[in-house]
Amino acid sequence: MKSLHKYGWIAWTSARSNMAYLGEVVARTLFLVLILYIFLQLWRVTYSETQAQQLGGFTLPQMLWYLCVTESLAISAPRIAQDVDQDVRTGALTVQLVRPISYPMYRLWSSMGERGVRFGFNFAVSAVLALFFVGTIPMSIGGCLLFLLVLPIAFILDFLVMFLIGLGAFWLEDTSGLVLIYSRLLWLLGGLMIPLELFPESWQGILHNLPFALVIYAPARLFVHPSISDTLALLMRQGVALLMLTLCVQWVYGLAIQRIHSNGG
Amino acid sequence: MVAIYIDHLYKSFTFSRGWGKHRKQTNVVAVDRISLNIPCGQAIAFIGPNGAGKSTTIKMLTGILHPTAGKAMVLGYVPWKDRQSLARRIGVVFGQRSQLWYHLPPRDTLELLARIYDLEPKVFRQRRDSLVERFGLNEFWSTPVRKLSLGQRMRAEVAASLLHEPQILFLDEPTIGLDVLAQQKLRNLICEWNQQEGTTVFLTSHDTGDIERVAQRVVVINHGQIMLDAPVSELRSRYLNEKILSVKFHTPIYEFPTLQGVRQLEVMDFGLKLEINTRLIPIEQVISQILQIGSVADVAIEDPPLDAVIAHIYNQPASEGLSL
Amino acid sequence: MKALLNYLNLAIAYVRLNWNAHMEYRGAFVSQLLAMLLNNLMWVAFWGLFFTRFPVLRGWTVQDVVTLWAIAAAGFGLAHAIYGNALQLAKLIAQGQLDVWMLYPRVLLPHLLLGQMNATSWGDLLFGYGVYLGFVHPDMVHFVWFIGLTISVAALFVGFSVLTGSLSFYIGNASALSDQWRMAMLTFSTYPGTLFDGAIKLLLYSFIPAGFVTYLPVEALRSLSWVHAIGSVIGSVTILGIGIGVFYHGLRRYESGNLINMRG
Repeated sequence: MKSLHKYGWIAWTSARSNMAYLGEVVARTLFLVLILYIFLQLWRVTYSETQAQQLGGFTLPQMLWYLCVTESLAISAPRIAQDVDQDVRTGALTVQLVRPISYPMYRLWSSMGERGVRFGFNFAVSAVLALFFVGTIPMSIGGCLLFLLVLPIAFILDFLVMFLIGLGAFWLEDTSGLVLIYSRLLWLLGGLMIPLELFPESWQGILHNLPFALVIYAPARLFVHPSISDTLALLMRQGVALLMLTLCVQWVYGLAIQRIHSNGG
Repeated sequence: MVAIYIDHLYKSFTFSRGWGKHRKQTNVVAVDRISLNIPCGQAIAFIGPNGAGKSTTIKMLTGILHPTAGKAMVLGYVPWKDRQSLARRIGVVFGQRSQLWYHLPPRDTLELLARIYDLEPKVFRQRRDSLVERFGLNEFWSTPVRKLSLGQRMRAEVAASLLHEPQILFLDEPTIGLDVLAQQKLRNLICEWNQQEGTTVFLTSHDTGDIERVAQRVVVINHGQIMLDAPVSELRSRYLNEKILSVKFHTPIYEFPTLQGVRQLEVMDFGLKLEINTRLIPIEQVISQILQIGSVADVAIEDPPLDAVIAHIYNQPASEGLSL
Repeated sequence: MKALLNYLNLAIAYVRLNWNAHMEYRGAFVSQLLAMLLNNLMWVAFWGLFFTRFPVLRGWTVQDVVTLWAIAAAGFGLAHAIYGNALQLAKLIAQGQLDVWMLYPRVLLPHLLLGQMNATSWGDLLFGYGVYLGFVHPDMVHFVWFIGLTISVAALFVGFSVLTGSLSFYIGNASALSDQWRMAMLTFSTYPGTLFDGAIKLLLYSFIPAGFVTYLPVEALRSLSWVHAIGSVIGSVTILGIGIGVFYHGLRRYESGNLINMRG
């Protein structure tokens, strides 16, 4: 009894010291509850007013599950650009250069870890909500595996763009504007609130090939409509984007390093 | 005329701890039946250790806190009932909390204060100009407050609190963190204002210098009660007649002669620390003795810290202390 | 009347000073302002997309949803561009910073709220009026109604911020809780009120009074309906009244000292 009390106290103390983190978790959960409920209502009304079974190939439950994935993805984004920006301005990046570790790789892996945990949590919360709101949709283990295959690449693509923006700190006075522009474009053109199928026809060809869709829309759609052929096509597109963005990052990072070497950081 | 009248002023705080059945309430007395009369124009120092009840008293006298029991009148107002009317007639400076706008020059804060206190533009300009001159605000009049030194900031702070010509000026630790010169400057200004304008000054401080140079009367408070209420001149002759003298030498010294009124606090090879009772021996005499025993590198004369003075007061029999 | 003019004069002085203080960091101010504009524009773009596919949503068209965004943003912006401290209230109370404000010869709450300006609110305000004029093309009468309704909505937001911030009087530092509550209010304030029924609808006219932003004012403006306009104003005045009432009730706890720690 006494030891129970003791361990209870330890747990309580550690919980309290993590309160800041806990607060953030509660805030994210609450936000997911609100936003998914609102979107559920929006689409419920839309489906009933159009008297359609499917819109853009999505049934109402599929639409909500699609939004679960996109919202979980969007609010799991770590502050990569801001952190890189800080490292550049404080000179922490210069210090990193003398370590036997590649700075971009260090940033990549730490952001992957953070994002993995956050996405997992958000998605778990969203899934519970979706089950409660609309029930299940047809899913298979194979489909989930395909989703898990493209998801990390989506994370990496997002990372590469954010990393590039962060490196902008070498040349720009303030990068927060770019971060905001990117994130809003990602949300709007990446299909955060509405799948690309429901965009005007003429936009769709371009949007499907932009990196925005590869980060949010495509993985979410694959989760709802698993298909091997779609996966292969997506992997192709993601591969091309990955290659191009990697080259971009290498080039810009090279310029930045040169700048450090010639200016002394 | 009485500026501040306090009669058995009492304040206790209730703290609750725990939940449900285990919930306990503790009562802490912050101010314990204080009675005090302060005539108009007096400068009074209100001193005591942390948690003695100084801030609580100031907060009650300015209308921020309501007392649990007892009476108080400030300029004829009951502070917690007539807070707004009283606010027009008092000025308050918290050493730790600025009323100046951090990113703007002092000029802008004064313009705003003129509106807050409804000053006529003509009256405002006149007072502003006289404050700028007397407080020497000209040199940083248009500099954002964040770029001012602490001394300049405090001068602007006090000037701002005098713009509406308050009859009482409350100062809570005004010289905290200032260097010696800035302290002196500020003390002189407050002193001047007290003597020339007849403003009543109510000051709390940790610094014996503030009390000696600004106040005419000192009230020592501890555990919410008044321990001592005396003219500063008496305090000085009874408790502030000790100085601490620190000396550093170029060469090692071997002994220092025993003198009446001098107590050796520390003796090292290259240094000395002495406590000197200036009533028994003039400080010049001690210094001339020191110059004889070795080649002096550095000398510093300090007031004993306030804590020591207060400790001294507590060692006196209570009846004697209170009868002063 | 004289008191009101006097207060207006004071408010103008504060706005000017706050503005000057922000101009010390012009770049940051402008970028925050643009960021808010951009964020809001993205949402309008989303609704534009949505309505090209589904032209009518429970009787509302894209015009109505843009009007809703315009009213919500302009109201929120107006509220906190002037009364920026409303957003800081929870923190100010918890940290005992009301003391300073109590030393001025002014009525406490309306003076205290002026003390800060929220930079992004100017973005909201600009967006609200800009998008209404530029997208909805109102006639003179509608525009006058719009101005009146945004002032009413601003009063609602001030009242709601004061209400949530005043929680600090009762439960210590309520910053986190009041932020969450406000977030819920803001989220609901940007979706058509017509989407919700039943218990949630009830919620939107009580604990999260977004219905007074997203339904009544928009309906009032759609058909210049006095009934909806009066309902909207009554809602705002009620929330403002509750906010003020809770603040002054809580202030008594502050003045009794049961809230602040003794600091000597």
